[in-house]
Amino acid sequence: MDATLFLKTAMTYALLPANTRASTTTFTLSMITDFIWNLPGYTLEFLMFNAKPLLQILILPGLAFILVFAIIAVWFERKFLARAMLRVGPYYCGKRSGLLQVFADFLKLFMKEIIIPKDMNFLFFASMPVLVSTLPAMALILIPFDQNWVLWNVGSVSLPMFFAIAGLAPLLPVFAGWAANNKYTFIGAFRVAYMYISAEIPLVICAASVAIMAGSFDLLKIVEAQQSMWFAVPQFLGFLIFFLGVMIEAERTPFDIPVAEVELVLGWRTEYSGILFGFTMMAEYVLFQAWTLLFITLYLGGFNGPVILGMTTASHIFWLLAKFAFIVVLIILIRCVFPRLRLDQMLNLGWRYLTPLAVLNLVIVLGLKVLGVY
Amino acid sequence: MSEETIINRIKEAHRDQIESATVMRVKRLSVVVKNENFIEVAESLRDTFGFTQPAAGGGVDYPSENRMQMIYYITNPEDKVLLTYRINVPRDAPKLPSLTKVWEALSFHEREAHEMFGFEFEGHPNMIPFLLPPDWRGGHPLRKDFKGEGVTE
Amino acid sequence: MTEPLIPPDVMRVSWGPQHPMSGQTRILLDIDGERVHKIIADLGFTHRGIEKILENRTFFQGVIPIERMVMADTANIGLGYITAIEEALGIQVPERAQWIRSLLCEMGRINSHLYAFGLQAEATGYFPAVFLWTTTDRTLLLDLFEELTGARWSYNFFLPGGVYKDFPERFQEKIIEAVHYLRRRFQDYWDAMVENAVFEMRCNDVAVLKPEDAIYLGATGPVLRGSGIAMDVRRDEPYAAYGDLDFQVITEQACDVMARTKVRFKEIGQSLNMMEQIANEIPGGEIRARASPFMRGKEAEVLSRVETARGELQIHLYTEATPNPYRVKINSPTLRNMYVFERLAELNEILVADIPVVINSIDPWYLDSDR
Repeated sequence: MDATLFLKTAMTYALLPANTRASTTTFTLSMITDFIWNLPGYTLEFLMFNAKPLLQILILPGLAFILVFAIIAVWFERKFLARAMLRVGPYYCGKRSGLLQVFADFLKLFMKEIIIPKDMNFLFFASMPVLVSTLPAMALILIPFDQNWVLWNVGSVSLPMFFAIAGLAPLLPVFAGWAANNKYTFIGAFRVAYMYISAEIPLVICAASVAIMAGSFDLLKIVEAQQSMWFAVPQFLGFLIFFLGVMIEAERTPFDIPVAEVELVLGWRTEYSGILFGFTMMAEYVLFQAWTLLFITLYLGGFNGPVILGMTTASHIFWLLAKFAFIVVLIILIRCVFPRLRLDQMLNLGWRYLTPLAVLNLVIVLGLKVLGVY
Repeated sequence: MSEETIINRIKEAHRDQIESATVMRVKRLSVVVKNENFIEVAESLRDTFGFTQPAAGGGVDYPSENRMQMIYYITNPEDKVLLTYRINVPRDAPKLPSLTKVWEALSFHEREAHEMFGFEFEGHPNMIPFLLPPDWRGGHPLRKDFKGEGVTE
Repeated sequence: MTEPLIPPDVMRVSWGPQHPMSGQTRILLDIDGERVHKIIADLGFTHRGIEKILENRTFFQGVIPIERMVMADTANIGLGYITAIEEALGIQVPERAQWIRSLLCEMGRINSHLYAFGLQAEATGYFPAVFLWTTTDRTLLLDLFEELTGARWSYNFFLPGGVYKDFPERFQEKIIEAVHYLRRRFQDYWDAMVENAVFEMRCNDVAVLKPEDAIYLGATGPVLRGSGIAMDVRRDEPYAAYGDLDFQVITEQACDVMARTKVRFKEIGQSLNMMEQIANEIPGGEIRARASPFMRGKEAEVLSRVETARGELQIHLYTEATPNPYRVKINSPTLRNMYVFERLAELNEILVADIPVVINSIDPWYLDSDR
C-alpha cells in the first residue's frame, strides 16, 4: 500500500471526533484533507509549467547548478582532504568554516595579470579554457532530471549525442598544450591523447550494452526501464568499468596523469595564469559533473526513487541529486587514498583489462536479452 | 686479510712502480704511485686486490713543496678496507691521466678537482663545469694562494 | 653550463630549479615520447665552499659550517668531523658522551628517513597525506631535540671532547614514550603506504640496480643495502657507542625502488630499538673531556668514516701545528649516489613519470653533494 495514502487516511481519521465517523462528513473532510495534502505539489506544478524553460536554463540543470556545484565541490574537497591529512583546510574566510574561501580565490584569480609568453599561439591558448569549460556543460544539459525536465530534448538520440559532445573534450587540452610552446605542456598534451583513446572504447561498449538492455538510445527511456531494478545489478561488470571510466574521463586521481604536478608542473595547464587558470580549474569540475550524472542515469536508476509528499518532479530531482552527492563523495574519498598511476600502466589497464571485460559485459547482456529475462 | 698482508703483497707486486705503501691505521691504507705507472697500478688494484668500490677523489695543495697531490679513496667490499691512492704532480703543470677508465664513478670528482685546483685530466669523457657558477671569472678556489674570484695576482 | 649537444630526435627538458619536485638542482632529461634516454645532473646550485671555509676556522668553530651540509640529520655529519678532530689531536671522550652522541645520531636518522619517506609518497602522486603525517611525527622528534640541545635542527651540540650538556629531568622517560608512539605510527605507515596497491604498482621493478653495478658505480647507504649488499659503517668500524648497541643491518634482495624504500623504513625500526636501549642502559659519568677552544693541532692526517642517513660520509683531515686545520676533504654520500642516478637511465628503461619516484629513492640532499 502506498505510504502517502496510509498517512492521509490516518490524518483524516485523527482529525475527526471519535463518534462522528459517518460517511458523508468523512467524504467532505477527506476532500479537504486531500486538497491540503496536495497543495505544495499543485503550486509547484503550476510554477514549473509556466516558468519552466527559464528556470531550467538559469537554475537547474543550467548555470546555477553548474556553478554552485563547482563551488561546493571545491570547498568540500579541500576540507575533506585536509581532515585526512590531519589539517583543518580553509578556516579563516567565512567564520571558521572556510565557506567563502572559494569566492576569495575566484576573486583573486580575476584580478591577476595574464602572462603571455612570446612565441605562443594566443588565439588557441586563450580560447581553450573557455571551450573546455563550456563543452562539457553542453553535454550535461542532455541528462534528464525528470520526465518533463530535460533542458535539451533531442529525443531518441540523447545517449550518442552525449558521447559525441563529450568525446570532443579531450581534443581541447591537446590544442592548448601545443599552443603554449612549452615542453611540459607538450608532454601533458600527448598524455591526454593517449589516455583518452584507451579509455573511450570500453565506455562506449558499456553504454551500448545499457542501451541494448533498455531497448532504446533515449536517456529518458533508459531511466524508465530501470524502474524495477537498477542496471547496476545485472550489468555488474559494466557498472565497475563505467565507474573507472568516470574517474579516467574526469581526470581524477588515481588517473590524473596529464596534470601530474610532481612531474609536469600541471601539464597542459602550466602556462595559464589569472582567470584563464580559473576556467581550467572549473573545467575539471564541469567534466566531472557531466560524466557522473551520465553514470547515475545509466546504471543507478537516474532520477528514480520513492515520491515524497506527492511532488513527483521535485522528488525525482532530489533523488538524482542525492545519488550524485554520494558518488561525488566516493570519488573524492578515492582520491585521498591512492597514489597516481603511470601512463603505461593506465594504458595497460584500458586495453588489456577494461576492453575485454566490456565485451564480456556486452555478451552477458545479449544473453539475457535472448533468454527473455529483459 | 689483515692490512699488513695487503700492503706487503702490493709492495711485492709493484716494487718499482710505487713510491710508498703504508698502513695509516686499522683499515686505512695509503699507496703513493709514480706518475708513469698510474693507470697500470690502478688496474691491478681493481682486478687483483679487489678494490672495486670507488668512493671519492680530491686534492691537496702544498705550495711550499711546489707540488699538488691528487688522492682517490677506494674501498674493498670484502675486507672493508679503505685505500687512499695518491699521485704527486708539479704545481705548474698539473697533468695526469684520468682514472675514469678504471673506476668510472670518479667522473664527478675529477670534474670538481679540475675546477677547484686546476688538475688537467687527460681522457676524461665529460669535462664540463661542475660546481662553480657558469659566470665564474677565473681562479682555482682551493689552492692556497687563491685571493678571490677573478683576482690574478 | 656548457652542456653536451642535444642528439637528434630527442627533446631536452630541464627538470629545472623551478619545479615543484626538483629540489635545489637542475636535472636535464633527454626524452623521446615518454621514455628517458639520458639523465644529466647539473649540480652546484648550492655550492658554498665549505671545505675552504673550514680552513679558516678553529676546531671548535668548524662544527658550525659543517653541520649545514644536511639539515635533516645534522648530528651524523657533525660527528664525522668531531671524531676526525679527536683522533688527530688524541682526545679521549668519556663513555656517557659517546652514548648521548649515538642517541642524537639515531634520532637524526629517524628524522631524515621520515622526511625521505614522505617525499617518496608525494612523488608517486599520493596527495600529500603521508607527507603531512610524517611532518607531524617529526615535530615530536624536533621537540625532543629542542629540549635537549636548545635548537630544533642545527644544534651544534657536539664539541671536541664530548657534548655540551647532560640530559634534562625526566628526559629518558620522554624518549621511551616517543619510541612507543612512533612504533604505533610505524604500523599505520606500513598499511597506508607500503601495502597500498597503487604504490606497489609504481615502485616494484622500477630502476633495478644490480649488486655488481651498485658496487662498481659507488653507491652507498640505503641504495647499496637495497641491492642486497650489507655494508654499514656502524657495523664495519664501530664508532661512538655502536660497539655496545645491538642492531641489524637491513638489506633487501629486490634491488628496485620498493626495496630501497623498505630498507629506509625498517631502519627506522632499528633506530627506535637503539633509542630505547640507550635510554635504558646509558652509563653515568662525565660528559666532556678537557679541550681548550684555542688548542693547536699536531701534524697528523686522519680519515674518519660515519654512516649518515644517506650513506657513508668520509672526512679526511690534515692538521698541522696551527689552530686551523690545513685541509678538510669531505666525501659526501649524495655525490656518489648522483652518479648512480645518472647511469640508471642507461641500465634500465625509465619513463618520465618514474623520474620523481627514482630521485626520491636515491634520496639526494643537494646541499650535501655541493657542499
